[in-house]
Amino acid sequence: MSKNPLSSPAPRGGLDAKSREARGARAAPTRIWGLPVRWGRWARRIVPVVVTPVVLGFAPHIYDNLAFLTTMIVYVVLAEGVNLLYGFTGYLPFGYVGFFGAGAYGAALSLTYWHVPGIAALLIGGLAAALIGLVLSPLLRLSGAYFALATLAASQVLYYIIANEPWTFGETGTSLPEVFSPNQIYLIALAIMTIAIALTVFVKESRFGLSLRAIRSDPVSASMAGINVVRTRSVAWFISAALAGLAGAIWAIMTAAFYAESPFALTISVYAIVFALFGGVRTVLGPVVGAVVLYSLYQYIGISNPQYFELVYGVLIVALILFLPGGLSSLVGHPGNRPKWWKSITPRASLAPVASTPAVLTPARETDQDPSGGISRRDGTKDDDAS
Amino acid sequence: MLWGAVEMRLISKKVGVGLTALSFSIGGFAVFGSGPATGATSKTSSAGDTITVGTLYASTGAYATSSLPEYAGLKFWAKQVNAQGGMYVAPLKKKEKVKIVSYNDQSDPATATTLYDELLTQDKVNVLVADFGSVLTAPAITIAKDQKHLLFDVTGSGTSFFSSGANPYVVLTSLPVSAVWPKPVAALLTKLKTKRVAILYCQNDFDQAQATAIKGFLAKSGITPVYFQGVPTTQTDYSTLVQAIKATNPDAVLELGYPNNDIAFLNELKDTNLHFKFVLTPFFGQLPSLFAQDVGAKALDYTYTYAVPPTLTINTVNMGLGLTDFVKAFAPGNASSVNFLDVAGYNAGLAVQAAFDHATSMSQLGIRAGISAVSGKLQTLEGTFKVDKTGEQIGELLPVSQAFPSGKSFALKIVYPAIPSQVAMVNATPRYPAPTG
Repeated sequence: MSKNPLSSPAPRGGLDAKSREARGARAAPTRIWGLPVRWGRWARRIVPVVVTPVVLGFAPHIYDNLAFLTTMIVYVVLAEGVNLLYGFTGYLPFGYVGFFGAGAYGAALSLTYWHVPGIAALLIGGLAAALIGLVLSPLLRLSGAYFALATLAASQVLYYIIANEPWTFGETGTSLPEVFSPNQIYLIALAIMTIAIALTVFVKESRFGLSLRAIRSDPVSASMAGINVVRTRSVAWFISAALAGLAGAIWAIMTAAFYAESPFALTISVYAIVFALFGGVRTVLGPVVGAVVLYSLYQYIGISNPQYFELVYGVLIVALILFLPGGLSSLVGHPGNRPKWWKSITPRASLAPVASTPAVLTPARETDQDPSGGISRRDGTKDDDAS
Repeated sequence: MLWGAVEMRLISKKVGVGLTALSFSIGGFAVFGSGPATGATSKTSSAGDTITVGTLYASTGAYATSSLPEYAGLKFWAKQVNAQGGMYVAPLKKKEKVKIVSYNDQSDPATATTLYDELLTQDKVNVLVADFGSVLTAPAITIAKDQKHLLFDVTGSGTSFFSSGANPYVVLTSLPVSAVWPKPVAALLTKLKTKRVAILYCQNDFDQAQATAIKGFLAKSGITPVYFQGVPTTQTDYSTLVQAIKATNPDAVLELGYPNNDIAFLNELKDTNLHFKFVLTPFFGQLPSLFAQDVGAKALDYTYTYAVPPTLTINTVNMGLGLTDFVKAFAPGNASSVNFLDVAGYNAGLAVQAAFDHATSMSQLGIRAGISAVSGKLQTLEGTFKVDKTGEQIGELLPVSQAFPSGKSFALKIVYPAIPSQVAMVNATPRYPAPTG
């Protein structure tokens, strides 16, 4: 009588390819991006981090509206921040703009009162947002709609405090000295975007990211598996807050003269979330693509047909929810996550093996296996192969 | 143990990835180093067949009701100028047609930022005219300064725009800075011997600066407001606020907001039958037709406001149309539809025209020199156009007016201070306390 492969526990260190196959898991890939698995995996990590800033570094040669390009990169950073938090932990921060505003005012006030160098102002902006994140960390005890609404309320509280205090220039607006030229601001924004992408790669590929995804799937099970749930998700929360703060600081230095309602505008939260979802969360390049495509569209419609702006954007969001809930990246990601309509028009894609294994929380060794271990979530989707 | 070692190796490689990322950012820096540079010297306007004037307007959002009339006024100016064969451009010694290039910022400052840059970098407009108000003007201040491009600021009277050292690239064409506005209001309140003043203001530069300024002016007369409260600019529900004000038993109530706030506040007073001895809102005087339509003419009787054109009728001019002619040409047969922001947009066009008329060269500083040349000498339908070295408008009047019943409508009359003779407008004695009913 043969032994049932599903009845035995997974060995520590993950399953070998043969065992995984016996358990019904997808077959281990033999090549990634046409490269041997080991090289392919490194290419998948490095290429997004390298290619994105290089491509966007050339963008001003094609279109030299630096205010637009810098704002677009600010949204890329914000979308990656949303991705880190929502994509990997499941916490949807409707009040994400609070961190953006905190970063903007952290940078603005440090420049005004302490006359710090520009780079220091940026770092203070990121730190200010992380500190606000620390103050708001008890909100992580909430979940779902309660968490989303609580962050929204917190961002509004922060806005009203800043808008009302004379020492924050709530009354007169800020008037910052010019610490960087527009070209320099753009390059600094590129550097911060690169750090944001590198962080996403780290989170996606590391044991820390695996812990976050386990928490997202089931915090109780993750805790029982030895993951410090509070500490792990708090770290993700702080990183996400700091990224938004850095984005806010860049925006503040670029804009120089602004009022509190500008960096605390709720549309900033909405756009960051929509951009991340449009591209696809839990991926590295999804939020980048989402922000670049949608913000470019925003600019194009705003210039050519502004009267149709709300209509086009509204239709896009509805279409996204109906036909592409996994975002653009789901079209090229793991076959199990692809929309049915897409599979029907790309039959070759549906031939790829689909994982059907239950959650494997033990991280795989750095062998030929996918580091995500083919984790399934409660919502039935799988971790994506797409970068 | 084994996993720990693997993880450490992985993390050290991640650090490598991070360093790679940074190095590529620096690589990008080198690539980008040869990219577009912002002008180190003042830009020169191209001498084509037309002078392009770039501007933004808001067709939706909080500022649409104010932005659209301002835009309409500017377009009217361009139409008038082109009908006369163009405007004289002194450095070229000939007339040039005017072309307005405009985008819709939808009342969003972030969108405005990218669109102002679009006007300068892609459309390469000759001069930039800002959208309505301080919030939408703020992004233009920075971009114009960075790119050394002259900005005609129509109604962005934020104090910070003009206080950070001399900036030759901004000119405020209408209205003094916000903090100067309420000076005659404070003087009138003192004259009327009011002691209990309630101030409700919106938290934006325009209103908050006025509130702070009036508090300071009143303090000099020994008056401390009995109510001093800020609310968001998005506030449209005043039900509890008016009751709170009523509880302080004020002699005068100043509600300082944008049109949406002022209308909502006045409607709340009307709906609740609350009566105060003195009520002032700033935008009633700028948009009287809109207020009559949304609040009702009867409910506006005895309300105070700032007197601005067209209520302030100035016909003695040396550039453009006088107020009466402007109203006839702008809205034939519908004079009541003309408001201050139409006039402000037109006046901004006149300032552009005067600048080119006296420009010393086609550079941005050459055009700015044209403004300096006419400052204090230019008389338009808004009064004396005079700017200081920071670009701040210091020539225009802002007296206080009050609405008096006039048939089924009302008539705005200046009640303080007495106005110069070139202003064709009725001086009246303020009705205080305002009669009930």
